[in-house]
Amino acid sequence: MTSGYGRFALARAGQAAVVVLLAYVLTFLVISVLPGDAITNSLRDPQSGLSEADIQRIVQYYGLDQPVLVQLALSLGRFLTGELGFSLQSNLPVAQIVGDALPSTLTLASTALAIAVVFAIGIAYGAHYAPPRWAGLLRSIPSFFLSVPNFVIGLVLIELFAFRLHAFTTTDPNSATATLFAAVTLAIPVSAPLAEVLIASLDHESRQEYALVARSRGLDGAQLFARHLVKPSALPSVAMVALIVGELLGGSVITETIFGRDGIGTVVQKAVTGEDQPVLQAVVSLSAVVFVAVNLAADLLTPLLDPRVNVREAANA
Amino acid sequence: MSAPNPGGPTTGKDTTVPETKPSPLLGVEGLHVAYGDRKVVHDVGFTLARGGSLALIGESGSGKSTIAKAVLRLLQPAEASVGGSVRLAGTEVLSLPERQFRALRGRQLGFIPQDPGSALNPVRSIGTQAHEAAALTGERDAAVRRRIILEVFEQVGLPDPVRVYDSYPHQLSGGMLQRVLIALTVLPRPSLIVADEPTSALDVTVQKLILDLLGDLRKELDIGLLLITHDLAIAAERADTLVVLKDGAVQEQGPAAQVFAAPRTDYARNLQADVPALNPDRYRSQRTGAPQDTLQRTWQDSASQDVATQDGTTADSTTADATTADRPAQIAVTDVTKSFRTRGKEVRAVDGVSFAVERGRTHALVGESGSGKTTAVRLLLGLEQPDSGTITVGGHSTAGLTRAGLRDVRRHLQLVYQNPFTSLDPTWRVGRIIREPLDRFGVGSTADRDHRVREALQSVGLPDDASDRRPAQLSGGQRQRVAIARALVVRPDVVVLDEPTSALDVSVQAGILELLARLQRDLGLTYVFVSHDLALVRQMADTVSVLRRGQVVEHGTVDQVFDRPQHPYTRALLDAIPGTSGLASPAMADAPAEHRHIPKLAEAAV
Amino acid sequence: MSADLNFARLRSAGTATLRSRAGISPTVLVSFLVILLVVLWSLFPSLFTGYSPVNGDTGSKLDAPSLQHWFGTDYLGRDQYARVVYGTASSVTSALVAVAIGLVVGSTIGLASGFRGGWLDATLGRFVDVLLAIPGFLLAVVIVSSLGFQTINAAIATGVSAVAVFARLMRAEVIRVRRSAFVEASYLEGGNRLQALLTHVLPNAYRSVLVLAVLQFGTSIMVIASLAFLGYGDPPPSSDWGLLVASGKTYVTAPWLVYAPALVIVATVLSINRISRWLRNSK
Repeated sequence: MTSGYGRFALARAGQAAVVVLLAYVLTFLVISVLPGDAITNSLRDPQSGLSEADIQRIVQYYGLDQPVLVQLALSLGRFLTGELGFSLQSNLPVAQIVGDALPSTLTLASTALAIAVVFAIGIAYGAHYAPPRWAGLLRSIPSFFLSVPNFVIGLVLIELFAFRLHAFTTTDPNSATATLFAAVTLAIPVSAPLAEVLIASLDHESRQEYALVARSRGLDGAQLFARHLVKPSALPSVAMVALIVGELLGGSVITETIFGRDGIGTVVQKAVTGEDQPVLQAVVSLSAVVFVAVNLAADLLTPLLDPRVNVREAANA
Repeated sequence: MSAPNPGGPTTGKDTTVPETKPSPLLGVEGLHVAYGDRKVVHDVGFTLARGGSLALIGESGSGKSTIAKAVLRLLQPAEASVGGSVRLAGTEVLSLPERQFRALRGRQLGFIPQDPGSALNPVRSIGTQAHEAAALTGERDAAVRRRIILEVFEQVGLPDPVRVYDSYPHQLSGGMLQRVLIALTVLPRPSLIVADEPTSALDVTVQKLILDLLGDLRKELDIGLLLITHDLAIAAERADTLVVLKDGAVQEQGPAAQVFAAPRTDYARNLQADVPALNPDRYRSQRTGAPQDTLQRTWQDSASQDVATQDGTTADSTTADATTADRPAQIAVTDVTKSFRTRGKEVRAVDGVSFAVERGRTHALVGESGSGKTTAVRLLLGLEQPDSGTITVGGHSTAGLTRAGLRDVRRHLQLVYQNPFTSLDPTWRVGRIIREPLDRFGVGSTADRDHRVREALQSVGLPDDASDRRPAQLSGGQRQRVAIARALVVRPDVVVLDEPTSALDVSVQAGILELLARLQRDLGLTYVFVSHDLALVRQMADTVSVLRRGQVVEHGTVDQVFDRPQHPYTRALLDAIPGTSGLASPAMADAPAEHRHIPKLAEAAV
Repeated sequence: MSADLNFARLRSAGTATLRSRAGISPTVLVSFLVILLVVLWSLFPSLFTGYSPVNGDTGSKLDAPSLQHWFGTDYLGRDQYARVVYGTASSVTSALVAVAIGLVVGSTIGLASGFRGGWLDATLGRFVDVLLAIPGFLLAVVIVSSLGFQTINAAIATGVSAVAVFARLMRAEVIRVRRSAFVEASYLEGGNRLQALLTHVLPNAYRSVLVLAVLQFGTSIMVIASLAFLGYGDPPPSSDWGLLVASGKTYVTAPWLVYAPALVIVATVLSINRISRWLRNSK
């Protein structure tokens, strides 16, 4: 069992590493090949305030006078040793820019994740155990949540709670209350699919014969839910966690812009407008790393949580 | 048939006379159940005495499971409305508040479900689920509960109780799981157990063991049993009282021996006639008799236009038994072996299997799950290649054939699948489904094909307008007829029947078997009949191979194997057929009741 | 919000199929009416408003909604309703382009992968993993930033970021159908692989992919609106829905400039989601 699991974990980790590398290559190709010579364009931009010597140094560093494949090799080599390069706009190390922005985004995303999970569980439980009238209403909530773009949610929350009720001010976006509302903005679209999947698997599990048998042993609704239904219903959502983290990262671009927070999302936005290729490359690749790592964790966790999953079969899948 | 005998108090097994016991264990009166506007149970009533056993018999849609769930109050009030009266030991349970009824669950009323594979939570260990049942005894000490659980596991014959306790459901076989469920149900010593088709998901030999176990425990612990089943023979063997249901209403009820041996209603009579074990010779005359109708001639005529069958007419080969001996076999499988690698282990699915089938005859492959019969069929059809051994069809070897060669073989070798719900493309209409092989093999002109499709529809007893319907609009039996028409439309020499009726109700099964027998006689078909059901095999086959773990343990003519089984496994299989062991057959129904010796009934009920 | 989660939603076992009776519920009917209106707006905007979306009446800047100006006016005195109506075509067509890209490319990959199996499945599977590894919205942002800030590029970016989802669903469906008894039966009846693929596998697999496509249409409208909101679509004076919300948010005193287009987006996407659910349940 343990050696089987070890081999399974190793195989999965290997696949994850390959995916990260390929994601880096894909991002590099999209950024540097598609638009032609964006990087030198932005360097030559007189507003960049770079001297001819600076430009020479940067061209040298990124191998810009060489073929794309060589540039890719250079860039990938540095990525593998943990070096992320320098911003074309500010000339600061990318690692520093990302490092400065990270705490804010982490706070936002983790708060949002917690809120989303609470929302989803609440909706799913209610949809299952509330009186039929309320349950029907709760069942339609995910669909509604999914139909509202998160910039609309953000603007409505700001309009209501900042401008009318003065619960927080937009001038202090890092206050606890402001962070909370930003997190809610980010959480709502994420909680909806989670709730849908939870509702569906609760429906599925409670229709299984074992639920009937457990009821015939005198378990009441709450006992049945807690002892029998929670675990099998939650398993499909474990596999969704990586997707949700990806959503949180993508959604943070908009949420941070609306709430005026300085985080990874803002870094991305600035990098896009300023055609700051190294910054963009780094943020996107790091997002892929986060995604793949979370996915890997979920994969490795599943056989431990679900006795049905056979690691030896899963390793070859 | 003996005269109707209402009430049936003369048969000597008077467990259901209401007057002697003022409050029977279970009394159901005027029970109605409706799912929304659809009424599925109408005015059903029966009583079950303390320690007695009663079987509800019916086919799918008869409402038998709904009645069981209504008695157990497991129907969701949002889905189903229940009316009438259900009294457990004198207490009306339908109107009891949920909180009070819950106290009866498990402690008074036990439930054994149909499919043991899905009746235990797949992500919790058996032990943790067993504690739920053990807690019903009121025992608070977990260590004591564990001891009780291990004891009851021992009692139901589970080989290694501690290992079972620590296992997860997917690690145990179906038979073991059903033992676990029985153990958990009897553990709190309920006075009534409701068992909903407790063995229909299990192999026959396991089925017998489980039913025996249930009977023994009942006797030992004095538990009443409400058995839900589609199988009249099982019901008659295992219950004192039978209640025959059709479309949610009671057709007939009375003491088991009487209902079984001398059914009063047509429906019960038909059900009884459709039990394969009771009528071993039912289709024999149809299969071997001379072809009578004109269908055969039309088929022969049009067949000779495009593809000549290997050696002239097939009709005489079925009738003339004497000449078959010196014919080459239509199918010869010689010493075939096939292994699969699963999880790094090599498993021999088929291990040195040989059998031969004569033209116009039926050869049966019998075995339980894991016997290799499915693999044998796939090898025969060229869906898998054997590791060693040879297979010849019509004298030609199928080994190492190209795709085109395989196509030629399949032209004469067709398959009818087990499950007609998955073997027909749901997006196609019936006409197109039957036509597919004609199009693919390029048989005849377009008009010709239309004609043949109509002909095939007729020959399987479906109306012409069926060809415009989709499979979802047909019943299971009709779908299987479509599948048979599709197999026969190219006029193959050999048809492989892979458990062709195991997904169908008994009465539907009888219709399909009758059809197959008639088609064999009319068209001179050779059948390879795969089944787990020995009683069916006896009805349908001429020769038989009994498979176990990939090997043929016994083979011979049906009469040899059934009357003088040599191998202990064959004997176990035969012994497991419900309704044998001298149970009354229709011929015996005229005999006085006292003379009908029904050993198993007595054993189970006393 | 981006495509990735739609897969998990569709795959999660048969959701609210309890009430899958035939017949159209009122909400579905309303949804179809909303979509009909949106389609008409995008085809014949001039039939629905007499105002110009480009030229405003400087005398009535930032007017609140009234009988003349249903959605009020913006800072140049342009009728916001006219801007929304004229912005529909671009918002809807770009979402259609995005879905088409995702559907065609994704289904092809999924079909090849699921039906052929072997090395092709392994290779394509890795590619899909990679596409999936980059969060959908970030991928769209990167692609649009490379292609240039135009609505059509935003549509392409959105489409590419949805390829992986279509590929995964199509692959799963194809594998499910390919293993079914009726496909094997078609081989026994002399059919070859191509015939089985075209006549059995595709007709049985496309349905849930179609449901995804409808769902994805709603998602694409939102993603493209989000990109427009960030300014990655066509610049003003075009009036994509997301852009209208973005330019409206500067005028705190005129919240209708945000709410009106936001409401239109929400109503459209909600209707599409309802229709997709109806399609899913009415099998």
